[in-house]
Amino acid sequence: MVAATDPFVKEFYHDRVVTALVMFSVIWIVLGMSVGVYVAAELVWPTLDFGQQWLSFGRLRTLHTNAVIFGFAVSALMGTAFYSVQRTSHVPLFAPKLAWFCAIGWQLCILLGGLSLLAGWNAAKEYAELEWPFDIAITVLWVCFGIVFFGTIARRRIKPIYVSNWFYGGLIIVIAMVHTVNSLAIPVSLSKSYSIFAGAQDAVVQWWYGHNAVGFLLTGGFLGMMYYFLPKQANRPIWSYRLSIVAFWAFTYSYIWAGPHHLHYSSIPDWVQSLAVVMSLILLAPSWATMVNGIMTVSGASQKLKTDPALKFIVLSLAFYGLATFEGPMLAIKSVNVVSHYTDWTIAHVHSGALGWNALITFGTFYFLVPRLVGAQLYSIRLANIHFWLALAGTMLYVLAMWGAGVSQGLLWLSLDEIGELSFSFKDIMASMPPYYALRLVAGLIFLSGAVLMTFNLYMTIKGRRTVQVQPPAVTSHRV
Amino acid sequence: MKTVISSWLLFRLLFQPTAVFVELSDTRPEPHSVFFRYLVWLAVLPPLFAYIGASNFGWRLGAAAPLFVPPDDLIIVSIVYFFMLLFGFVSTAVVAQWMASTYGARHSLGIHFAMVTIIAAPLVVGSVMHLFPHVFLNLLVLIPTLMWSMYLLYKGLPIVLRISPERGMLMASALIGYVLVAAVSLLGLTVALWGRGIGPSIGV
Repeated sequence: MVAATDPFVKEFYHDRVVTALVMFSVIWIVLGMSVGVYVAAELVWPTLDFGQQWLSFGRLRTLHTNAVIFGFAVSALMGTAFYSVQRTSHVPLFAPKLAWFCAIGWQLCILLGGLSLLAGWNAAKEYAELEWPFDIAITVLWVCFGIVFFGTIARRRIKPIYVSNWFYGGLIIVIAMVHTVNSLAIPVSLSKSYSIFAGAQDAVVQWWYGHNAVGFLLTGGFLGMMYYFLPKQANRPIWSYRLSIVAFWAFTYSYIWAGPHHLHYSSIPDWVQSLAVVMSLILLAPSWATMVNGIMTVSGASQKLKTDPALKFIVLSLAFYGLATFEGPMLAIKSVNVVSHYTDWTIAHVHSGALGWNALITFGTFYFLVPRLVGAQLYSIRLANIHFWLALAGTMLYVLAMWGAGVSQGLLWLSLDEIGELSFSFKDIMASMPPYYALRLVAGLIFLSGAVLMTFNLYMTIKGRRTVQVQPPAVTSHRV
Repeated sequence: MKTVISSWLLFRLLFQPTAVFVELSDTRPEPHSVFFRYLVWLAVLPPLFAYIGASNFGWRLGAAAPLFVPPDDLIIVSIVYFFMLLFGFVSTAVVAQWMASTYGARHSLGIHFAMVTIIAAPLVVGSVMHLFPHVFLNLLVLIPTLMWSMYLLYKGLPIVLRISPERGMLMASALIGYVLVAAVSLLGLTVALWGRGIGPSIGV
C-alpha cells in the first residue's frame, strides 16, 4: 500500500525497521516490568529466590533496570528517532541496512547482556552493569545509530533541523561520550574487568554517566519524542518554537554538571557537591519551559481527545514530567537529601519519572504510531482507555507507597534517643517495610496489566498487516 | 445565580457527585465567603487530628517503638501543617483560575475556591486516620480517598467550569501536575524543617 505519491520520486521511507523496533520495545516492556514485579514480590517474600543465585534480588534487579532502560526505552527511542528524522528531513533513512544492523544488533546485545547479568557478570556500576564485551558492542551499535541518524540529517531536503532532532542528536552524542568514558576498564577475563578509575574519581565518573543517562536518554531522548509526536497528535505547531530551542541549550548546558548530587556527604570535594546542587536547581527552568511548551501546544487541541486515546497518555505524562523534574532538583538540595538519600523516596522519584513520564509518553506515542505504520485503525480504543486508567492508578499507587516508605525510613535511620544513640537498627527498620512493598507490588501489577492490554491491542492492530510504504513529500524550495 | 453554597453540598458529594457539581455550576460564590465558611475549618481538621493522634499515640512508622515528638515542637509542626494546607488550597484555586483563560473556563475566583474545597473534602474526611498516626494505615486510607478526589476532579471540573469534557480532561491533568508538585514540596519542606531541629530529634 502506498500512502503518498510523487511520480518523480521513487523512494520510500524505511519504516519496517521502525515497526520492528516498536515491537521489540513492547516485548521488552512486558519482560522488564514482569521482572520488576517479581523483584518487588521478592522484597515481600524473600524466599521467592528459591535459593537460586540467578533468581536472587541482586541479579534480577539489574536485569529489570537494563531491560526497561536499554531494552524498552532505547528501542522506543531508536524507532521513533528513525521514524521522525525521515519525516522532518523529507528523505528516507541514510544507510538503511546499517539501521537494521543497529536494530537487531541492539536486541541481541541486550538479550545476551541480560543473560550475562543472570549468570552473575557485573561491572559493579549502576545502570552500566554489563561487562566489557557488551560495552564494546554497545559502543559500536551506538556509533551505527549515530551514522544513520546524522547521515539522514546531512541528506535532508529542508534547511531547518527540527527541534526533535536536536534532542535525539543530543541523546546520541552525550550517551556515546558518557558510556565510553565510564566504561573504560582493564579486562582480566571474559566476564570480569576493573574500571580504570578508582575511589572518589570512579564515583564522580560513574554518576556523571548515571545522571546523564537519566538526563539525555530518559529525559532528552523522550523530549525528542514529545516534540515530534505531540504536535503531530494535536495537529498544531509547537506553542513556542523559540522556547523549545532555548530550553534545549539550557537543558544541555546545565544537565551535564548535576551528577555529583548523587554523592552528597561523601568523600568527593564539597565544592563539587555544591556546584551540582546549583546546576540541579537551574535545571528546573529549562525542564519546566519544555513542560509549559507541551501543555500549551495541547491545550487548544481538546477536540482530538474525543477520538484519540493516545493524546491522553501524553497529556498525563507531562504532569508527571513536571513532578519528576521538580522533585529531582528538590532532592538535590543537601538538607532534603540528608533524609531522602538511601531511602525508597529515591525509588519513588525514579518511578514517577520512569512510569509517569517515560512509559506514559511511549504508550501514547505507540497508540498513535502503530496504526499509522500499518495503515489501520487501532484494534480497540476502549482497551486503550482502560489502559490509561490502569497506568494512572498504578503510577500513583507506586509513588505514594514509596513516598510513605522513604520518608519513614529517612526519619527512622536518623532518629536519636535521649542519649544521642541511633534509636533503631537497620534490620528493625527493614522488617517494618513489607506492607509498603506489598502495596508497591500491587501498583506494579496494575501498571503491568495495563502494559499487557496494550501489547494485545497493538498485536491485534498489526496482526496480518504489513508496514505501509510512504513516499517523502516533494520539496521544491529550501533544498539544502 | 446563587452566591452562597449550601453546607449540604459537602455531604451530598458522597452520594450524588454529579448533582452537586451541576448545582455548583449555577452558583457564583464569593471567594472570602468560601474561605471563611468552609476552607479554614476544613484545613484545621487534619492538623488537629494529627496533633491529637501524635500526642497520644506517637508517630508509628512501623519500627518497634512509636516516635514521640516534644509537645512544643508538635504544636509548631501542626501549625505549619495548617498553614501549608491553607496555602495548598488557596494556591490550587488561584492556579486553576490562572489556567481558566487557557482552557476557556469560568474565571470567577469564588467558583475555583468552591471547586477546590469540594474536591479536597474527601481527603479532609480521610485525615481522620491521623487520630492514630500509623503511617501505613494512613496511607491505606488516604490512597483510595485521593483516588476518589482525583475522580471528582476529572468528573466535576468540566461541569463546574462549564467546559467540554475533553478540555476538562486537559485542565484537570494540568492541575494534577501542580498538585503533585505541591505535595512533593510539602514533603521536602517537612524534612528540611526536621533537619533544622523542628520536629522529631534526628541526627543531622
